[in-house]
Amino acid sequence: MDRDDVKARVYKVIANVLKIDTGQIEESHSFSADLGAESVQSVELMAGFEEEFDIEMDEDEALGVQDVGGAIDFIGKHLD
Amino acid sequence: MTTKFELQETAEPNLLDEMFDYSRPPRIQFDGPLVEQIDGKQVCFDPAEALQRDLVVTDTTFRDGQQARPPYTVEQQVKLFDMMAKLGGPNGVIRQTEFFLYTANDRKALDDCRALGHKFPEVTSWIRADKGDFRLVKEAEVKETGMLTPSSDYHIFYKLKKDRRKAFDDYIEVIDAAWEAGIRPRVHLEDVTRADFDGFVMPYVSELKRRSEQVPADMHVKIRLCDTMGFGVSTPGVKLPRSIPKMIHRMTHDIGIPSDCLEWHGHNDFHKVHINGASAWLYGCNAVNTTLFGFGERTGNPPLEGALIEYIALHGDLCGIDTRMIQELADYMASIGVDIAHNYPFVGRDFNTTRAGIHAGGLRADERIYNIFDTTELFGRPPRVSITDKSGVDGVALWVNNFLGLEGDQKLSKIKVHKVARWVMDQYEVHSRMSAITDEELEEQVKEHLSDLYAARIKKAS
Repeated sequence: MDRDDVKARVYKVIANVLKIDTGQIEESHSFSADLGAESVQSVELMAGFEEEFDIEMDEDEALGVQDVGGAIDFIGKHLD
Repeated sequence: MTTKFELQETAEPNLLDEMFDYSRPPRIQFDGPLVEQIDGKQVCFDPAEALQRDLVVTDTTFRDGQQARPPYTVEQQVKLFDMMAKLGGPNGVIRQTEFFLYTANDRKALDDCRALGHKFPEVTSWIRADKGDFRLVKEAEVKETGMLTPSSDYHIFYKLKKDRRKAFDDYIEVIDAAWEAGIRPRVHLEDVTRADFDGFVMPYVSELKRRSEQVPADMHVKIRLCDTMGFGVSTPGVKLPRSIPKMIHRMTHDIGIPSDCLEWHGHNDFHKVHINGASAWLYGCNAVNTTLFGFGERTGNPPLEGALIEYIALHGDLCGIDTRMIQELADYMASIGVDIAHNYPFVGRDFNTTRAGIHAGGLRADERIYNIFDTTELFGRPPRVSITDKSGVDGVALWVNNFLGLEGDQKLSKIKVHKVARWVMDQYEVHSRMSAITDEELEEQVKEHLSDLYAARIKKAS
């Protein structure tokens, strides 16, 4: 799966969890500061990524990812 | 000029294990004596010497404890006595308990407790300073009795309507009568923290000491220092009669009352009841008089279970104390309608329950961070989290893992419990809830969102 595919699916999960349009999302956006993700939503994002990509992520590592671009890269590595 | 302190970097955390061995209540360690100024001289109280003495806990749950509540039934007293015997263990850390003798129920309770055959606690009684009451003590075949002898002028003049000479002579007469009846007197100096020490207490106790020397050692008078209104203060430098160190020192050094004949009895009117009792041990009293969960007249007495935890903390050893009985006693008290505050130490519903998400996160990482000691092992009470909007996903994960009994690598991450966490947050954000989430509600959520694990838990439990 190439990076653009991962990015598109990550944007879809973010839009779904945070109830925003994908057009409002940028790779440089921080989940909390820019997109307004609260504590539970941060965890829901990770759960959404796990479900979307059928992967299991380490909790501490996953929750250490702060922005959209970081999530795309983190998931990409998991898929490699 | 101040000292410059350099940061000491370390690869391994310094958890101060010698003091905070998680398997025990944390040790109370001393790096020197307790120092007090008495009569212009520096007096040192050596904690190591105190720990060499036969320190004990005595109990008055069935006497002072009953003055604060409706009477216990005979069956309840027997049950509590039996549990107390197990709690105190074979070394008799809970050495004695005292009973009223005035009603048929009082006497039956004493007889039935004694019939259990426990070596400890020993059974003693409590009477007014009235010669007529010795008949009850003799008939009950009790070897030692406490006798109320008020020591402050508040009591002597305004309650007894006597003067000091009359009170002094009357007390001595009754104590002589105890000896004549073959009963060891335990003299309760009521209101001693409001008494005139030089004018009454010292002459009175000196006379008791002088008379004790005429009888066998096992009949020597015992002195109970009764802080009836909770005025006692353990801090060095305080003046008599409120000073606990000075009071005990005068007893042991100026009169020569041995420590094994001295007992502290406190009340909690100023929130000092536990520390005053614990300090009395260190200053020279061998016995601290207590009640289960501190129930006693007005604000109560030193809590027995608190004294036992202090005892373990001072000795660094369980000393035969069965700490699990503390929770069993609390459960029994609850079953007979005795309310214990939720935040009450060691046994209250919330004593090791956190509501804050950041604390729950700490507990999840390592329970030692937010638990006082291994309460699972010592009390059968694992640390818990109570779920509210402040608990966060950390709190929910901790609750779920505890509920499912998952340990180590089996523990669910926050990611796995997100649906339960979402339900919790919606209760507050969507439904404007104002109360904590109950265990039953959370169980329902686990059943719905983690059904396989829930089924495994139910199967294991059955």
